[in-house]
Amino acid sequence: MKFQIEDVTVFFPYDYIYPEQYSYMIELKRALDAKGHCLLEMPTGTGKTIALLSLITSYSLSEPETSIKLIYCTRTVHEMEKTLAELKLLHNYQIKHLGPQARLLAIGLSSRKNLCVNPTVLAAENRDSVDAGCRKLTASWVRAMAAENPNVPTCQFFENYERAASAAVLPPGVYTLQDLRVFGKEKGWCPYFLARHMVQFANVVVYSYQYLLDPKVAGIISKEMQKESVVVFDEAHNIDNVCIEALSVSVRRQTLEGATRNLNRISQEIDRFKATDASRLRAEYNRLVEGLALRGNLPITDNWLSNPALPDDILKEAVPGNIRRAEHFLHVLRRLVQYLRGRLDTENVEKESPVSFVASINSHAGIDQKTLKFCYDRLHSLMLTLEITDTDEFLHIQTICDFATLVGTYDPILQLSCHDASLAIKPVFDRFQSVVITSGTLSPIDLYPRLLNFHPVVSRSFTMSLTRDCICPMVLTRGSDQLPVSTKFDMRSDPGVVRNYGKLLLEMVSVVPDGIVCFFVSYSYMDGIINTWNDSGILKEIMQHKLVFIETQDVVETTLALDNYRKACDCGRGAVFFSVARGKVAEGIDFDRHYGRLVIMFGVPFQYTLGKILLARLEYLRDTFQIKEGDFLTFDALRQAAQCVGRVIRSKADYGMMIFADKRYSRHDKRSKLPSWILSHLRDVNLNLSTDMALHIAKEFLRKMAQPYEKIGGSGRKTLLSEEDLEKMGDGGMDEMLY
Amino acid sequence: MASTHVTKRAKYKTTIKDPGTPGTLRMTFEKILFVPHNPKSAGKLDVEFRYIKGQKHTKEGSNKPPWLNLTNNQNGSFIFEFENYSDLQECRDFVGKVLAKGGEVSEKPTVAYPDEQLSAAEMELRIKLLQEDSELQKLHKQFVLSGVLTETEFWATRKKLLDREVSKKTKQRLGFKSAMISDIKPSTDGRTNKVTFNLTPEVILQIFAEKPAVHRAFLSYVPNKMSERTFWTKYFRAEYLHSTKNSIAAAAEAAEDEELAVFLKQDDILASEAQKKIRQVDPTLDMEADEGDDYTHLPDHGIFREGNKEMTESQNELYKRSLSQDINRHAAVVLEGRAVDVELEDTKAVAEALAQSKQKSSNKGESDGDISRERLDRLSRMTEIEDLQGPNTLPLAPLCIKDPRDYFDSQQANALRTSGDALGGIEQIKCGLSTQEVYGSLRESISSIKAMGLKEPIVKPEVAHQVFDALTNSISNTKYHIGKNPQESVLDRLPRKTKEELLHHWTSILELLKHFWASYPITTTYLYAKVNRLKDAMSNIYPQLEEIKGSVPSELRHQVSLLVRPMHQALDAAIQHYEASMQKRSAQSGERPNGYV
Repeated sequence: MKFQIEDVTVFFPYDYIYPEQYSYMIELKRALDAKGHCLLEMPTGTGKTIALLSLITSYSLSEPETSIKLIYCTRTVHEMEKTLAELKLLHNYQIKHLGPQARLLAIGLSSRKNLCVNPTVLAAENRDSVDAGCRKLTASWVRAMAAENPNVPTCQFFENYERAASAAVLPPGVYTLQDLRVFGKEKGWCPYFLARHMVQFANVVVYSYQYLLDPKVAGIISKEMQKESVVVFDEAHNIDNVCIEALSVSVRRQTLEGATRNLNRISQEIDRFKATDASRLRAEYNRLVEGLALRGNLPITDNWLSNPALPDDILKEAVPGNIRRAEHFLHVLRRLVQYLRGRLDTENVEKESPVSFVASINSHAGIDQKTLKFCYDRLHSLMLTLEITDTDEFLHIQTICDFATLVGTYDPILQLSCHDASLAIKPVFDRFQSVVITSGTLSPIDLYPRLLNFHPVVSRSFTMSLTRDCICPMVLTRGSDQLPVSTKFDMRSDPGVVRNYGKLLLEMVSVVPDGIVCFFVSYSYMDGIINTWNDSGILKEIMQHKLVFIETQDVVETTLALDNYRKACDCGRGAVFFSVARGKVAEGIDFDRHYGRLVIMFGVPFQYTLGKILLARLEYLRDTFQIKEGDFLTFDALRQAAQCVGRVIRSKADYGMMIFADKRYSRHDKRSKLPSWILSHLRDVNLNLSTDMALHIAKEFLRKMAQPYEKIGGSGRKTLLSEEDLEKMGDGGMDEMLY
Repeated sequence: MASTHVTKRAKYKTTIKDPGTPGTLRMTFEKILFVPHNPKSAGKLDVEFRYIKGQKHTKEGSNKPPWLNLTNNQNGSFIFEFENYSDLQECRDFVGKVLAKGGEVSEKPTVAYPDEQLSAAEMELRIKLLQEDSELQKLHKQFVLSGVLTETEFWATRKKLLDREVSKKTKQRLGFKSAMISDIKPSTDGRTNKVTFNLTPEVILQIFAEKPAVHRAFLSYVPNKMSERTFWTKYFRAEYLHSTKNSIAAAAEAAEDEELAVFLKQDDILASEAQKKIRQVDPTLDMEADEGDDYTHLPDHGIFREGNKEMTESQNELYKRSLSQDINRHAAVVLEGRAVDVELEDTKAVAEALAQSKQKSSNKGESDGDISRERLDRLSRMTEIEDLQGPNTLPLAPLCIKDPRDYFDSQQANALRTSGDALGGIEQIKCGLSTQEVYGSLRESISSIKAMGLKEPIVKPEVAHQVFDALTNSISNTKYHIGKNPQESVLDRLPRKTKEELLHHWTSILELLKHFWASYPITTTYLYAKVNRLKDAMSNIYPQLEEIKGSVPSELRHQVSLLVRPMHQALDAAIQHYEASMQKRSAQSGERPNGYV
């Protein structure tokens, strides 16, 4: 359908639109007009992504001269693929109705691991080995060597890409990672470097948060984006944590051991070069005198992760004299590792601000702040000079230098941990004119601007207009035997609680069709409870009804388990998926439609409050933002819980139940932190249920949902709008129809 | 088959017991010619078709070889045994064609053999249906073979079963048990520490499927290196070690015993399979790709979180296998289904068949080019918002309820459990509507449809719901009502034999009644004859019912008679109707002899 929002003609690839999608677009357009940032909360299952994509692309189509670039950040690769697939749908629709002028180039960007098509490189296990494998074939010195000696292996795809030079471009279209790989294979060009090259021409770039937030990555990839770009952070409820992670490093004993080994290897290399090719080291020295600002001239394949500090914080000055010589730098690093090892040998937890930590390094190891700041770049330069390609072996020393640089620049512990989420995102807010932060759960919506330290021009939370009561949240406080259930620390290992949880699941698997998802508060708790259920035979009984799949810490295994889970739901066998709140599955996998008719949240997913880092962060939040520890912890736990259960609804035709199985959810202070779209369906009678009551409600609910219903929405409020409805609304009276 | 002749290899038998003379059978429109391979042997045959009166043949799926029996007008017969059923069918069809042509020659038309008009495929289908459903087979045997109903009549009421589309669906295959292998509990003799495991081929197949490494070890060790018994002893030893969760002890034992180590180690075949499978995974949940993109997951970057970035501690890890892994693997295997369809008797055979089927599927996997196509389809399905556009039909497996009785019984039990004593209300449903009322309501609904067109949904959800509720409540409700305890059915308390007899009588009475009532009004001689046949069959049932009543112990007699009463009533009504219409008939044409119209 096609409709007008003020002066913009919006193309929307479906026949109908939800009213909340429409108002979402209106708010978004206001933010774009005002060239400011915005914060938008809209429940899952209302089609945020497509609304956002169609508004922004239509907006830029209506103003062809400004050429707005859309930078769409997702948390995960699979969300990236999904976004691109939706964009493809939209793009096809626009081409159909507008013709060639609607053409755009949209690409997803990821690491070599996900884009490489060279089978020899791809055989490596993890990202770092793929990176290293690629460097071994494409580094400038390797290629120079190959030019002389045909026996040196190079990457055919990269060579072809280089040879094609400026002819190597992607024709307009929407490219998922899969499409990029197919295209690359077809043309014989390296998709990774091609995509990196095309970023500057693309109208839409979809990539992971870190490409913008993590200075190490952003420095290379995102530096050329123009100010007019619109940046979108989708599913941004955890954005503060991502920001913090980007600037945090921890050092353990293994890291230090590895670093020592790396240093020995480097020193051997230096000796080798001294004997064979001393001029190289001299050349490097000269370069360093002139400063580090030479990154721009590096060949594309030699690019490394850039400096972990933020671009504006690293001064454009020459590398301090004491680390310009390779041997001297090596000594500095050895002293640093030595010092860190000494610090690791303590029995007590020590908390120090970076300033005092740096001062202590200075007095004990004789390394000053400025030297530390340059550690990372200096190491990079040295490794390039030494022509080291197996970068995956050198991760440990990288970590140390990373740590050193950050500690020299900012606040951070031997777990250098960042507490200020706004630090990492600040450059993004400064550089781009519109940053959109959106998610299904951003409650309380006023907290985010404080955490991230920015001022949105639009900040709005949308509710969901439902055609029928298609979600059914319940709070279960007791088992069938009326004993309370909770994962409170003193209760969680109580056999009665474990049994009651098991009985709850057992009863539910026998009445709920298709998929059920269970979330536990931690891996260790999940392992424990599954073992107990297995011993007591409950698990066996559950298996009589549904297949059981479990999230483990092994990503490959978990992915396969999820894939099988979906297959089991597709074929009608039905399955239960056991997962962990705050785990990878909870963060990004949808359990919509028959993939999740019921979600059970066993317990309240509080963070591990005895963790030192968390305590430090809480202290920081209290001192800086006057946010009470308790409040933040509850906020955080409930946002995780809401996140876990919030993925069951995909559209208004969908339905699902949610059980919060812990007596603490019945307390008002906890419950009220849940997002409003859940709260509005949480009826008072469902607040204090026992297992048998919940079972009864579940049966009634499922029976009700199985009946056909009027899709357009019955009495009064419409929940689906057609093109005519929108036109009518244009004549006024919009508000009365929407709310 | 428009050919003018058929030539097949066959054996000619003069009698059924005759081993037969191998040779070539050649049939043309005019004659049948059989030439033995061995020219010296007797049994050369040259018969003209006009002497042939009819044909009989063995059914495929019966245990008999493919025989074709051609009867001549002197009541002699020629029996041919073919090499396979397709040959038989070809010849049978040919003979059928010739006989039909010369229909005027043969005295009896082919009606006596209604099978002959069926195509081979239809025949097969009927046979298959009978084999699958023992109840149907019983009915078929009782009525068709005894001549109460003809084959055509029997099947005419079951057209739905014969529907090609429905029958084309693949037969459901038996899957693996949902119980885990680790649930195999040993039995102890109570005195010594010895434990005994009972292994069935079924379990072994499951072990092989879930643990490819054990499968491989079995193929390479047994029987050359060790006996099957030692192999399984070692396996369970390893399982025991594993169950103690003592990875150090396991490592120690593994170091001593190379073969034992195979069972204790992580399954390397599984790991490599996982690498292969991960490439075909649905891209919308590929978390492995995230790992490859996530720069904060360099070792030690980001915040250390509980359980998230623990490093493997020691090499004992090699011998640690978590319960979660087992459960995931088990569920995956159950989901994949059983690849092997061999008779489970010999372990060795099981192992080899599994290996073969794996080989096949891996070959298929490599050559399969449209996997990425399917991936993309799935991706686009995942991204579309369903209710913003027209409906999308999903590929659904049709529900196959093997035994409707089981289904309704379980529904009944559920309904009783939920709506406890609300049953009282059901009796009040108004059944006696006058003709005027029915007509009126019909007119009303027709005119409303005319005015507004068909609505979606056609039936109001509430009404549909009510009807279903009433149905599930009333279907087989006597069974529960008579029993004191709603969970327990009366039938279950009867002796097994009586129960089965009762149920069988019910179905056969229903079958007869169905045909009986469908024959009215009687318009042809054929129907008249049929009704007579049916009536006789029905009156035969009375004494049988009495017999059942008599055979049960006295304390159950009352209940049985309660169960029998509705049968009696139904039969009585039918016979009454029969007699009434007979009288009417004879009144109309008084002097006509019985049986003539």
